[in-house]
Amino acid sequence: MKPDSRILTALALIAGLLFLSPALYSIFMSFQTVDAYYTGKFEFTFENYALAIGQYNFARYLLNSIIVAGLVTLIALTVSTLAAFAFARFRFPGGNLLFAAVVATLMIPSHISLIPNYLTLAKVGLLDTYAGLILPAISNGFAAFFLRQYIRGIPVALDEAAYMDGATPLKVLWRVIVPIARPAIFAMGLFIFISEWNSYIWPLVAVGEEELYTLQIGLARLYRVNPGEDVINWPLVMAASTITILPVLLGFVFVERHLVRGITMGAVK
Amino acid sequence: MSGIQLQDIRKSYTGGPQVLRGVSMDIRAGEFIVIVGPSGCGKSTLLRLIAGLEKCNEGDIRIGGRRVNDVAPQDRDIAMIFQNYALYPHMNVRENIAFGLELRGMAKAERHARAEEVARTLKLDAFLDRKPGALSGGQRQRVAMGRAMARNSSIFLMDEPLSNLDNALRVAMRSEIKELHRQLGATIIYVTHDQSEALSLADRIAVMKDGNLLQFDTPGTIYDRPANRFVAGFLGMHPTNFLPIETLPFWQGKAGLTVGMRPEHMTVHTAAPEAPAIPARIVFSEMTGANLMLHCESDVGRLLVTAPRQEMVGAQETVWIGYDASQAVFFDAGSENRVEHG
Ligand SMILES: Nc1ncnc2c1ncn2[C@@H]1O[C@H](COP(=O)(O)OP(=O)(O)O)[C@@H](O)[C@H]1O
Ligand SMILES: [Mg+2]
Repeated sequence: MKPDSRILTALALIAGLLFLSPALYSIFMSFQTVDAYYTGKFEFTFENYALAIGQYNFARYLLNSIIVAGLVTLIALTVSTLAAFAFARFRFPGGNLLFAAVVATLMIPSHISLIPNYLTLAKVGLLDTYAGLILPAISNGFAAFFLRQYIRGIPVALDEAAYMDGATPLKVLWRVIVPIARPAIFAMGLFIFISEWNSYIWPLVAVGEEELYTLQIGLARLYRVNPGEDVINWPLVMAASTITILPVLLGFVFVERHLVRGITMGAVK
Repeated sequence: MSGIQLQDIRKSYTGGPQVLRGVSMDIRAGEFIVIVGPSGCGKSTLLRLIAGLEKCNEGDIRIGGRRVNDVAPQDRDIAMIFQNYALYPHMNVRENIAFGLELRGMAKAERHARAEEVARTLKLDAFLDRKPGALSGGQRQRVAMGRAMARNSSIFLMDEPLSNLDNALRVAMRSEIKELHRQLGATIIYVTHDQSEALSLADRIAVMKDGNLLQFDTPGTIYDRPANRFVAGFLGMHPTNFLPIETLPFWQGKAGLTVGMRPEHMTVHTAAPEAPAIPARIVFSEMTGANLMLHCESDVGRLLVTAPRQEMVGAQETVWIGYDASQAVFFDAGSENRVEHG
């Protein structure tokens, strides 16, 4: 190893630790008893996790978050990949107008559609359901736009070769475009998953029933349902936080490998 | 095996001018057709119409007697080789070759066996597990050929398949393609802008210019009896000399014609010959292998003449250029079409 690359590694390590320190601290804190925390000592315990899962239903919230963020990611990716393929490759009447409309949705702050979405879902009776949590998020203008740009960068000759080979449009999409666009699709999927995982306002509005809470809602409630006057059970909050961030971290480590492999694969003209 | 009939094909891209202006061809089953013409004349467009990748505005396309104007490319049983090969970057050579078979529902073991057989004929068997990114230009070209061959289509379309290769490889692949045609017996339509490729490969050559088909005939006929001045100038290793007939000493009392004289039909004399000849001065000479290409200046204009190397030892100041007048091709000076002339 060259000396300057060793310095770089050290710098990167320090920067990484710096970024990670709040998470590491909260994980550390989550294994501490509340008494020890408030008296400045350390006492190891799993009690906070037992409490979060046993008394405060965090296992259920975790499951809800996984279901909602997972399904949103899956469906949104499917819808936006199909839309992106259509916008990138097919000319049809009104196509440009439709694409302009998709781009225009990027300029509308999500809070503006909060109330209309709420009223719509209320009217069709989907409040307090998984569908109510998922449906508003499945049309993702940004993903459609981003993937369209990426697909336009793939030579059309590849599509044409596949058509000559006997493929239908859906086969071309699934067997040629999607594998080549995989890094972009994975990146977009990660992006959608994380923003959905962290989403707070919509689940707060769309769901009143405790059984359908996502992690973020549950976490916010912990401040309020904590016992003790004016005392927040921070170690408990940190245990719940750890439950909230850990799946995302693990997921990223898994997906990141694919991202790197996809990017280095490159396309051949 | 299927022949292809094109009938008065017209095509313009949305908002653009007409790219094909009424092209008709009757291609027999098993023929090797080369479409040649300068870049932008509509060769690729014509090929893509036959493939079904574009739709024509007017005219009929028939394959094996069936009108296919509205038949999707995947239902035309045509294999196509693209100029940049268009190999699937995420599949290895085996999968690239077998993809068309897979789409047609052939079982995995069977299609891989077929892919390997094709790869063997193309000397690609050592690269079956490689992705296209790890292949050389020539190997990619072979994979593109293999992908087209695997399906046993009766029609092959090739759009400048050799234009990305270096010269030696191009000439080698040329004979391989010719050999392949002999083995497969398929109809091949081959597009190129390279006239020497056209002359060496084709059973019949279609010469195009500005969206028009100028001439469609055997290489020999096109070379000896070009339909017009453009065809005469486009085909042939060296540029043809075009001169007004009244300036030449080989004919008397003729006017209104342009004579096309190929450099190889002209001879160089160091002394004035008995037969009519044009006095000229050698400006410079090029070595082309066995021959020299002489660039001469004369009172009638610039002349290109080929001469055997040993005949011209050093550049001479003044020479006389003779011509085998029976080889001349005559064009109407106005319309530039060829006219018969005694
Ligand atoms: N997709 C297209 N849209 C608009 N114009 C096109 C398109 N493809 C080709 N052209 C035009 O059509 C003409 C013929 O093109 P092409 O068939 O590719 O010529 P060639 O293959 O003989 O070089 C050119 O002027 C080109 O600019
Ligand atoms: Mg072309």
